[in-house]
Amino acid sequence: MDLSTLLFLVLSFLIVVFSAAVVILPNPIYAALSLAVTMISLGFMYFLLQAYFIAGVQLIVYAGAVMVLFVMVLMLFDLRKEIAAFSGGKFAGLLKILCGLFFSGALVLAIRQGVIALNVSPGEPTPAEQIEMVKSLAMRLFTQYVLAFEALGILLLVVAVGVVAVARSRGGTHASHN
Amino acid sequence: MGHDVFEITINSVKMLVIFLLMVQLVPVLVWVERRGSAFIQSRLGPNRVGPLGLTQLLADAVKFLQKEEFLPEHGYGLIFYAAPILALIPAALAFASIPLSAPIHINQFLWNGHSFGPYDFEFQSFHFGVGIVYVLGVSSLGAYSLLMAGWGSSNKYSLMGALRASAQTISYELALGLSLVGAIMVFGTFDFSEMIHFQSQPLTSLLGVHFNIPALNWGIFYQPLGAILYFAATFAETNRLPFDLPEAEGELVAGYHTEYGGLKMLMFYIGEYGHMMVGSALMVTFYFGGYLIPGMTVEQVHNLLGTWLHIGANPLAIVTALVLHVVFFIKVLFFLWVFVWVRWTLPRFRYDQLMDLGWKTMLPWALANVIITAGWMLFKGMH
Repeated sequence: MDLSTLLFLVLSFLIVVFSAAVVILPNPIYAALSLAVTMISLGFMYFLLQAYFIAGVQLIVYAGAVMVLFVMVLMLFDLRKEIAAFSGGKFAGLLKILCGLFFSGALVLAIRQGVIALNVSPGEPTPAEQIEMVKSLAMRLFTQYVLAFEALGILLLVVAVGVVAVARSRGGTHASHN
Repeated sequence: MGHDVFEITINSVKMLVIFLLMVQLVPVLVWVERRGSAFIQSRLGPNRVGPLGLTQLLADAVKFLQKEEFLPEHGYGLIFYAAPILALIPAALAFASIPLSAPIHINQFLWNGHSFGPYDFEFQSFHFGVGIVYVLGVSSLGAYSLLMAGWGSSNKYSLMGALRASAQTISYELALGLSLVGAIMVFGTFDFSEMIHFQSQPLTSLLGVHFNIPALNWGIFYQPLGAILYFAATFAETNRLPFDLPEAEGELVAGYHTEYGGLKMLMFYIGEYGHMMVGSALMVTFYFGGYLIPGMTVEQVHNLLGTWLHIGANPLAIVTALVLHVVFFIKVLFFLWVFVWVRWTLPRFRYDQLMDLGWKTMLPWALANVIITAGWMLFKGMH
């Protein structure tokens, strides 16, 4: 077994365990931190698959900014109600397990039906080749897929504006409980 | 890692040495900080233990090791203990991918009856083509350790410090990343080694304007605004004065590390100084020619040392790399001194001033810098 296989096994173990922990753990803070570990492991998985630029962006955007905001907002709330709501009940537990089984079944079905197009080039690309990969990614993003890219940007802007509008008119997240 | 035992051994040892280099620089920096602050404030500073007070740090380390180990009563054990360890990792990972000197080319040689093939060793733990993207990605993980420290200690001051720290880190990360984009566009690469190679040519044309005086080809001449914004944002990223609101002794006791003592607090210190080293090293690499001696390329240094020393090709390559390494560290130490200098000169910002500066001043200026650079490069038809 070579080093990259070993790293792949370790990283996929981390991803599976911590993404399960996101769903299972009752405390939202621990769940969010587990999601952060999942994101970081995913980032390093991209490094292993030689998608260096995507790996860096995954670390900057998801692990470094989005999840930090999640954790920060969760730390501001009094979470006793949420912990109680998420930890109890045999029915809820059964539902969780059923959902988990359903989605893993769907995943296995998708993988078995689909064609696996994962084709990792043999050998480590040199730093110069890595830069060429980034350049070709940028060329595609700003020529062939520029419309989809910009449309996504507008969509995100609409979502941000919508969220602000909703939050303002109702007077904040927890206002209706008072 | 390498093709044979020799190469793998050297590369492994190199990784360890670069990590230890970072950690071992911390006590020296603490000494510089204490003596420097005393110098700035017309005091003497710690000068009793050993020559110039240098062994005071050894005494401090012994004290840190002997301190009592404790967990706050309502603290969360796992998170409380994990936070200081996590403080160390991002800076160490980021520092490992910065080239500290020119690559060493070793010709074929005989040792112990075996022939060892030609090698190329790089003076960095690992070399990614996407260098700066990797460094920004890894160092953005530093916010977790502060958040976990604040929440895990179950202390109001700690939590306030942690929230301030993460809000500040996220806000200034944008300005920091954008201020580097202009330089990345001028160099046309993410790779640190290529940036330094770009800066080794003599400067005879600046952004398409030609002139005949050879000068330094440093990034600062192309991106002066980017350099200033980057360095200012680094202060916020490292949570140091004038942006040290997460710790703010006058308001929050000691911020996120209020409940920490002994070796655990030392780990936070190492993390902070590690981020300072990464910030200074990036500043040197992007804007001040990296490990280059001003006005000389790596080949010129190599040839000059060859005419002086009369040694074989392999020792000469090693000596060249070491000389350039010293040059790199002189530059980095200068910027580390600027960190200390600023800390003991400027007062702390208020929180709303901090956010205004980040979002309403630095971000627009950084964006303007990117747009002007891009427009100019398009106009002059570069790249």
